[in-house]
Amino acid sequence: MIKIVKRDQPSKAIFFFTPILAIFLTLIAGGIIFYILGFKPFEALKFFFIVPIADKYGFSELLLKATPLCLIAIGLSFCFKSNNWNIGAEGQLTFGAIVSGGVALLFYDQEGFYILPIVILAGAIGGMIYASIPAILKTYFNTNEILVSLMLVYVSKLILDYLVVGPWSNPEGFNFPETRQFSDSARLPLLFEGLRIHAGIFLALAAVVISWFVFYKTYLGFQMKVSGFSLKTAKYAGYKGKKMIILVFLISGACAGLAGVGEITGPIGQLHREVSPDYGFTAIIVAFLGRLHPVGIIFASLVVAITYLGAETAQIFMQIPKYTGQVFQGMILFFLLASDYLLFFKFKFIGTKK
Amino acid sequence: MNTNLKISNVTKIYPGCVANDDVSLEFNSGKIYALLGENGAGKSTLVKILSGVVIPDEGKIYLNKNILKLNSPSDAKKNDIGMVFQHFNLFETLSVFENLIIDSDEQRENLKEKIDTIMKKYNFSVDLDVPVLNLSAGQKQKVEIIRCLIRSPKVLIMDEPTSVLTEQETSELFLSLKKFSEEGILIIYITHKLKEVMQLCDEVAVMRRGKLVSVSQINNENIESLANKMVGQDLKTIKKKKENTSSEQLIKITNLNFTSEDPFETNLVDINFSLNRGECLGIAGISGNGQSELFQVLSGEIISNKNSIEFNKNFIGDLNPQERREYLMAFSPEDRLEQAAIPQMAIFENVALNNFKSSNFFNNGLINESKIKEHSKKIISEFNVNTDNIDLKSQFLSGGNLQKLIIGRELITSPDLLICFNPTWGLDVGAINYIHETLIKINEQNKSIILISTDTDELLKLSDKISVIHRGKLSKIMNSEDVTSEKLGVLMGGGN
Repeated sequence: MIKIVKRDQPSKAIFFFTPILAIFLTLIAGGIIFYILGFKPFEALKFFFIVPIADKYGFSELLLKATPLCLIAIGLSFCFKSNNWNIGAEGQLTFGAIVSGGVALLFYDQEGFYILPIVILAGAIGGMIYASIPAILKTYFNTNEILVSLMLVYVSKLILDYLVVGPWSNPEGFNFPETRQFSDSARLPLLFEGLRIHAGIFLALAAVVISWFVFYKTYLGFQMKVSGFSLKTAKYAGYKGKKMIILVFLISGACAGLAGVGEITGPIGQLHREVSPDYGFTAIIVAFLGRLHPVGIIFASLVVAITYLGAETAQIFMQIPKYTGQVFQGMILFFLLASDYLLFFKFKFIGTKK
Repeated sequence: MNTNLKISNVTKIYPGCVANDDVSLEFNSGKIYALLGENGAGKSTLVKILSGVVIPDEGKIYLNKNILKLNSPSDAKKNDIGMVFQHFNLFETLSVFENLIIDSDEQRENLKEKIDTIMKKYNFSVDLDVPVLNLSAGQKQKVEIIRCLIRSPKVLIMDEPTSVLTEQETSELFLSLKKFSEEGILIIYITHKLKEVMQLCDEVAVMRRGKLVSVSQINNENIESLANKMVGQDLKTIKKKKENTSSEQLIKITNLNFTSEDPFETNLVDINFSLNRGECLGIAGISGNGQSELFQVLSGEIISNKNSIEFNKNFIGDLNPQERREYLMAFSPEDRLEQAAIPQMAIFENVALNNFKSSNFFNNGLINESKIKEHSKKIISEFNVNTDNIDLKSQFLSGGNLQKLIIGRELITSPDLLICFNPTWGLDVGAINYIHETLIKINEQNKSIILISTDTDELLKLSDKISVIHRGKLSKIMNSEDVTSEKLGVLMGGGN
């Protein structure tokens, strides 16, 4: 007989084991889905998860996709840890891309070492400005940040649309909805000849280190932790709640904005309609899969990045729609939430004695 | 007709705790039975089993020798078991009559007649057409009782019915219960208040940690003997020495008002009082009359007009709790698990919640863990917190130990004023004694206390001055020698 017993203390090992369990269950469920669709499950999973990263180029692509995911998820973990539900990172990314793209376009015919730092800074500021909207509305007008941040995503996408079709479109571009190419000085340097992986990965790694330090070593991190557990306690302890809400949104927005900069000054090199394949939304899954822990987020971003690559390979080689990637992302989150049950309960096997 | 209710070897195990461990009890009509025990002793689980809300893992229940199958609350109703819970199950916006007809199978006219007879018989006066939200707690309880009586129950179970009542309402309730009992309804009265047991009941069953400890006639017991059974240890009684307190004023509240946007909060109206050094001001009241708002205004969670609070000759009405701590105030909120402490965090992290400047817990924005830990060890040993592991998550401390930790955390700065709100709520008697001793000690060191509490006995024991809060207004401040619990009861009910 199996009995479900409450754990005395949520186990630390289980805390990091459940994400792995969730991935494993996702693979099984994915295999079943492929089987129902008429594919050989193992072959399909191979195309999805192994083929894409089997060579140097594939591995570079993995890091390329993981970089924005990791960067955004780190930023989001500041919000989530302190009970602020910013789900509009996609919008902050887009707005960061718009602002930094605009700056890069100013310099489109110039070269100079100073251009890239200005462009990067502009992206971070753009993300911060955009994230400050839900933060200020929440602190001063009591609005719900989930709704506001989400709705602003669509606003930013429409602004981008308008700009690339209208005022910012390339005068020599035959009315394609895209801007001029940025000058080389506004592009993030590539790390290896022939591969697309770029210096943006260092931004992500720096964010990991800084966030670890802030979470575990600073008063701000402590206040975030307290607020995350209980806002009533934070108030009682006398923390300046409004200030902190705005601060975590700004950090989160800056990270998303930087991810936007990384995309347009890295692989894309200009502004067009599709600067992000929903990195801002997928990063929410990454943040939770990584347990809002900086190191966990690194691993989670790599895992989720595979689903992007796998979807593309599977589409090319097996004619499976690339939206299957989103199905996998959804399943990971689903199984993660389900297996979190194990954090608080354990199965106990009891002999059938009576 | 006689009713016999028998509980036989009932066991209920929850994950991590045995709520009822092989409990057997027998009740006969014509008597009032008390089921006595501290919070967490297993009374409520047993009651839930009797009312069909919880299904026991083992054991059986017999009513008049017939086995009872209680799989849902409606089974209990069908078998003539009536329940009045501590928290009312009434629709606030519906009228009294609408509330009564909802779960009745009777015709409107018949029901009305029935209710009238019941009200006449027991001398209840409740207006049937008024929405329930306009009723006082005592009247709401009467509605619940009428709802049970309509079904002419054989058994009536009352779960801590007096926690929301004034003294007067309580004595009215007791009269009715005695009347019911005389008419042959078997009454089981659940409480942790010893006085009520002595006043009302004929037989008393004591529970402790899920086990039945004793069953005895009330004539063979007294308050001390019951308390000892309930706690499982002998208790010493403590008394406050009344000394001449100084006449130096410490805190003065002038025309303090608070208007809430939340309809479920109470507005505070024109609060005025002052307190000298070395004194304890008790604030009595039925819960929900503005105590929580008053605590928050005093602690700085709710900010008010700068000049409305004068503390040690500084005006501090506009400061937040952390800033007020620098002026040597300390606060112990009512809710230990959701406000005063964070159960998921370690003990030493909880200590860091009281971050006063000289503590150096955080230097230049960085956590100074060794300092916090050193401080935590000091609190644990000085305030008898029963653990030596400061890395332990505080959820593993018992309520008493957690409260000692909280009080210790607040007192280690040797504040001039401690404001506490129901500091002993839900604690076992041993821990209550310790907290009371500590509070008396503070007064002896010429420090002051504002004690907001719903426990009248506690207030009478510890306070030098007492005031009553009712619907957000404070009564005039009285010397505690001139106050009796009856007088407090009148004021708590809004009388004069």
